[in-house]
Amino acid sequence: MPDVLLQYEEEIKLAILQTFAMVGVSVLAAILLGLPLGTLLFLSRKGQLLANGFVFSSLNLLVNTIRSFPFLLLVVFLIPFTRLLLGTAIGTAAATVPLAIIAIAHYSRLVEQSLLDVPRGVIEAAVSMGASTREVVLKFLFVEARSGLVLGLTTSIVSFISYSTIMGVVGGGGIGDFAIRYGYQQFQTELMMYMILIMVVLVQLIQFAGTTLARVLDKR
Amino acid sequence: MITLRTVSKTFSEQPVVKAVSLSIDPGEVHGIIGASGAGKSTLLRLMNLLERPDAGEVEFDGQPLMRLPERRLRHVRQEIGMIFQHFHLVSNKTVEQNVDAPLRIARVSKKERSVRVNECLRFVGLESFAGKYPAELSGGQKQRVAIARALANGPRVLLCDEPTSSLDPGTTSEILRVLQEVNRTLGVTVVLVSHEMDVIKSLCDRVTVMEDGEIRETVRIEPAGIPSIDSDAIWFLTQLTEGGGPHA
Repeated sequence: MPDVLLQYEEEIKLAILQTFAMVGVSVLAAILLGLPLGTLLFLSRKGQLLANGFVFSSLNLLVNTIRSFPFLLLVVFLIPFTRLLLGTAIGTAAATVPLAIIAIAHYSRLVEQSLLDVPRGVIEAAVSMGASTREVVLKFLFVEARSGLVLGLTTSIVSFISYSTIMGVVGGGGIGDFAIRYGYQQFQTELMMYMILIMVVLVQLIQFAGTTLARVLDKR
Repeated sequence: MITLRTVSKTFSEQPVVKAVSLSIDPGEVHGIIGASGAGKSTLLRLMNLLERPDAGEVEFDGQPLMRLPERRLRHVRQEIGMIFQHFHLVSNKTVEQNVDAPLRIARVSKKERSVRVNECLRFVGLESFAGKYPAELSGGQKQRVAIARALANGPRVLLCDEPTSSLDPGTTSEILRVLQEVNRTLGVTVVLVSHEMDVIKSLCDRVTVMEDGEIRETVRIEPAGIPSIDSDAIWFLTQLTEGGGPHA
């Protein structure tokens, strides 16, 4: 192993751990809240099962607004909210708050898009056999859209990794922050390059896993 | 069995079904024919409230469907099977899982479900295809799976929306034979929407001719296959048979 990596071994391990924690919370938020939100966006659209102009417009505006913030500004903007929620706006835990919020908005949009790809007729067939809205969603929509949902989540995770790299501004740490402070600001270009390499490998692995899973799930 | 009373439906200010009344008798095969845009598919979709009429009443077995609470309506829908031109199978489910889906919705026990799935697949002659995915099937096979799925909960009526319109002639007669079996062997009332006169003629006891959102007439098709209807309607049907139709 190169000397520069051995020299900072502890710091690098911590940075990787911090990145995993931040991305992990984002993924959880995306699945637990982004998936239902995206489904509601889809269902409240005109002509869909829970068509409701007010609900759709409100959610649509909310998701668009969150996604139109340059992420750095969103982090700063959310500092009071984060402080309210966790008592502090500094540190890895605090950094997960804005990350979770962008994760929910980001993935919900991709969920909506995936559900829009399901042929309308499949929903009609489900309704015609007496399915409730809940059954239509769980037993038909999610089944038919599953490879799209997986690919969307893969794209989202890659974005979350990218977002996590700037969390140094609120002391969130992570690989990106380490690369900037130890690599760039201390003129250790080699160290910075190694950090970038770690990110590249990470993204490749995630994309490969996501694409493979989506392909296996897709029987269309 | 199904009664429509002066039902109307308008899509974006365009009236598609105009105060139509129609009664489907138990046990019959009832055809609905008309040119594209005549409102025949919409009329069919009003029968299980896949579309809600803007005015009028829809009755199934004497129950006014529009006034039923959601839960009851879903229950009634389990007694009304439906198949479509483009089959609408779930492509990520196997043949078996597709047929199983309505049984799960109806909360049928696991043991009974597997019996029913086998019965239905045997009825349409696809028991050896249980583990395949729809993408591995031909159009005719997909439609047969759709029929098996529609029959799973033992419906009393089967609504068919252009069931053969995306199939070749050979496959069409194969599907028509299955539908005839559904009617004769299982005693299921069949409502069949089609723009092809041959399809209607080969199967139906009565046929309703639609034009511009209205019923032009409902006639009985004699066993000989010659409709006993006035010259006007014969002209209309001939036009359709020749693939034209007044609006085509």
